[in-house]
Amino acid sequence: MQYLIFLIKSSLDDFRRNKVRTFLTSLGILIGVSSVVLLIAFGLGLKAYIKGQFESLGTNLILVVPGKILQGGSFRAGPGGGSLGGAQFDEKDINSLKKAKHLRHVAPAFIKTVTISFLSKSEIGDLFASSDDIVPVWNLEIDSGRLIRKSDVSKRSKVTMLGPQIAEKLFEDKDLAVGKNIKIESQTFKVIGVVKSKGGSSGGQNFDSFVYIPYKSAYTYNPDKKFFAIYTKSLTENDINEAKAEISSILTKRYDEGDFSVLEQKEVLNAINSIFGMINTILVMIGAISLVVGGIGIMNIMYVTVVERTHEIGIRRAIGATKKDILYQFLSESIILSLIGGISALIVSFLLILIIQRFFPAYIDLYSVIIALVVSSVIGIIFGVFPARKAANLSPIEAIRYE
Amino acid sequence: MIKLQRIFKEYETEDEKLVVLNDINLEIKKGEFTAILGPSGSGKSTIMHLIGLLDQPTKGKILINNQDVSKLDDNAVSKLRNKFVGFIFQQFNLIPKLTVAENIALPAIYGHGDLIENVQDRTMDLLKRFNMLEKKNVLPNKLSGGQQQRVAIARALIMKPELILADEPTGNLDTKTGNTILEVLETLNKKDKLTVILVTHEADVARRTKKQIKIIDGQIIT
Repeated sequence: MQYLIFLIKSSLDDFRRNKVRTFLTSLGILIGVSSVVLLIAFGLGLKAYIKGQFESLGTNLILVVPGKILQGGSFRAGPGGGSLGGAQFDEKDINSLKKAKHLRHVAPAFIKTVTISFLSKSEIGDLFASSDDIVPVWNLEIDSGRLIRKSDVSKRSKVTMLGPQIAEKLFEDKDLAVGKNIKIESQTFKVIGVVKSKGGSSGGQNFDSFVYIPYKSAYTYNPDKKFFAIYTKSLTENDINEAKAEISSILTKRYDEGDFSVLEQKEVLNAINSIFGMINTILVMIGAISLVVGGIGIMNIMYVTVVERTHEIGIRRAIGATKKDILYQFLSESIILSLIGGISALIVSFLLILIIQRFFPAYIDLYSVIIALVVSSVIGIIFGVFPARKAANLSPIEAIRYE
Repeated sequence: MIKLQRIFKEYETEDEKLVVLNDINLEIKKGEFTAILGPSGSGKSTIMHLIGLLDQPTKGKILINNQDVSKLDDNAVSKLRNKFVGFIFQQFNLIPKLTVAENIALPAIYGHGDLIENVQDRTMDLLKRFNMLEKKNVLPNKLSGGQQQRVAIARALIMKPELILADEPTGNLDTKTGNTILEVLETLNKKDKLTVILVTHEADVARRTKKQIKIIDGQIIT
């Protein structure tokens, strides 16, 4: 214990005498550890955010898409992957799915990026054509005006329900939107309502900038009358598997089994998580490169220190220090040096994350703290051991003669 | 206590072989005050380094208390240096960043608990003995040469060694201060009953000891 205190104290004494050098050397580690911690924090935030988004849609949501998207729990890669090809859903599928016993709601989905204008103002938004069923499927809530009704769909009414973001962009104050006529490309639609913010996105699109219109009124934008997906909800969370089987059996009457996918929230979530996980891992690895660079900085300085202190090493050996004593002395210096970097990195990351949290839900967990401390100690050991061994293996007589 | 038997020390450079010690035989008994006298380059410092276990001979045997030290590993040799020998150098060789008290106590740290006495108490005793108590928290560069050498002697004594090895201990000091240091060494031999080996090139200094071994060109001249 006393020996450990001696090692730590003598390291700190050395740092105090070489403040600038200590600062610059640990700065390398600081940058490396911070980038790793921040990237992990972003990854964690993103994951939690996506999970929250999916949960806000309800856990009994089932998504039907063309093609075989998932394979073994992750998105399929390579030729034939993705949602290209496969079944092209139309109204007939919607009607046959509506007859399913285990399904409560069936909402088709067609998305197109369009220009929306009000008077002289125009904005780019996402046209989202669906039925009134989209309201319960996505748990949409009205902010002002009213929601889309069944009759709007059947009558092919030229009405629209706006996401809060697009409403604000067009009308400055979203409360002024209801009752106004807007133009979607060249056709006029009446705003019947503005929905509450869902604050998020689904597959890249932002819910809050959606312009919802009845799918039957959208056929001018969708002349093929095809849907890119069908959103449904099972009666309860418990019969989700039965519902999926039922959907499959209905659709296989028209399509090959490989031409469509029936996905529940969990699967989509897992698949998205696995993709983000992979991206995050790659980013963290890139961040780790700067850690290695920081480590090399430590190694470099430790080699310089060993040369500078050769005479001192000789004196210590003469009065009885073993090779191990010298090894521990230099190793503890490099470990403490990189721990200083690691701990400062945690403080810096923590402060940065406090700022970032204003616009992105990044956060640090215990795991990141442990990683930062373990990684910086390990860097200290790996990059410190060679200089320390060099110091330990110096011949006492040559070291003491060194001036 | 110390026996050097048929010791050779050679250095090989690219084009020549340098023989620094050529068949050295000597014995130093417990309690002796011995000078190793010789001009610079005679090999006297090399003998001191061999006795002090800082270096190893090319050939020959070194016996310390009848133990052949050439067979010991680094740990054992370091331990012997720590416990058995106290070094005093011409350049004082204090560690500049450590205070006087820390310099004196440093060997005890490498003794890993071998010193049974309380290290602080023993350091205080030595500080008092060498009149350095007031300077205990001072860094060596604030001390005069004589003071630094006194600190070095205190450091050499902390582990209660049997042997004091002094390599030109007065070489960097004026005559008066040098004399004081020599008196300290005499006291260590007489009162503390320590074996003292003094390496010097000055015959006057060597005369203060009871036994002189002269070295020229790596050989003992009797």
